[in-house]
Amino acid sequence: MERLVIEQTKATPQIDFDADLGLLSIKGQSYPENAFKFYEPVLKWLDQFFQVTEVEKLITVEFGMPYINTSSSKCIMMLLEKLEEADKAGKKVVVNWYYDEENDCELECAEEFKEFVDLTFNIISFKS
Amino acid sequence: MDKKIINVQNMLVDNQVLICFSGRFSQGIIEELGEAIKKHMENEDTPKNDIFNVFSIFIEQTQNIKNYSAAKTNSSIYEVVNNSSIVCIGKTDGGYFIWSGNKIGNSDIEPLRAKLDLVSGLTKDELKKLYREQIKKNIEPDSLGAGIGLIDIARKATLPVEYSFDTIDDCVSFYQIKVTV
Repeated sequence: MERLVIEQTKATPQIDFDADLGLLSIKGQSYPENAFKFYEPVLKWLDQFFQVTEVEKLITVEFGMPYINTSSSKCIMMLLEKLEEADKAGKKVVVNWYYDEENDCELECAEEFKEFVDLTFNIISFKS
Repeated sequence: MDKKIINVQNMLVDNQVLICFSGRFSQGIIEELGEAIKKHMENEDTPKNDIFNVFSIFIEQTQNIKNYSAAKTNSSIYEVVNNSSIVCIGKTDGGYFIWSGNKIGNSDIEPLRAKLDLVSGLTKDELKKLYREQIKKNIEPDSLGAGIGLIDIARKATLPVEYSFDTIDDCVSFYQIKVTV
């Protein structure tokens, strides 16, 4: 399956989903004009990926999102729900969520997403 | 010249405004102003949490205004609404404030007031609960998006959210909201 790469802009994160490696990465802040339009192809790629990939595939999802506005948060929720479904269906999904150790708000945001879903969800701090 | 821009500037200074933009909002302007505010606060050695909160409230407020304009595209009040936006970021002893306003249709006042009254009357825990409920809800295609943005704003505010509606004419009123972090 073709790798999905979207370049980072000021208001949209870099997307790099590599189907072969099972490594999906979202990095950068997210507050586009139309979040649903931005995330639609991302969510579609995921649906297709889960259909074509073998059942017990290990999938690592890396989030490094210093800021997410509310409409993007909705989209991230939808994405996490898709991951949760796939995990329930037998795939092994691991979420690694990175946050700046000096920013409690980022940690709080990560914890809230973690509470929403039943997934292996590691919250990892880094020094900026 | 009769008109003095220093009078405009003095008024901003009197109101403790650091950055102000008045006019039509675009995504590009929102991004540039947002980054400028961040840079300004970084230079002042503002704690990262405060920068984060000011930036998020700024984005939610300005995108609410922009989305509202977009939703009025085919309405008779579109031009009036679209050119009426203003946002100021300032600093007082109590913290940073994000203060914005725009004209809105009179028939849109009551639903908005109800949302504002609701979020401003809730505790932080109740706001968290409401946020969780709303973010899980399916997206309504015709949603203006303002609902969850206001909950997020109220969660981040350190003082009660201030807002008012002032009638301009039979069609529109001026809505303003001031949030302190």
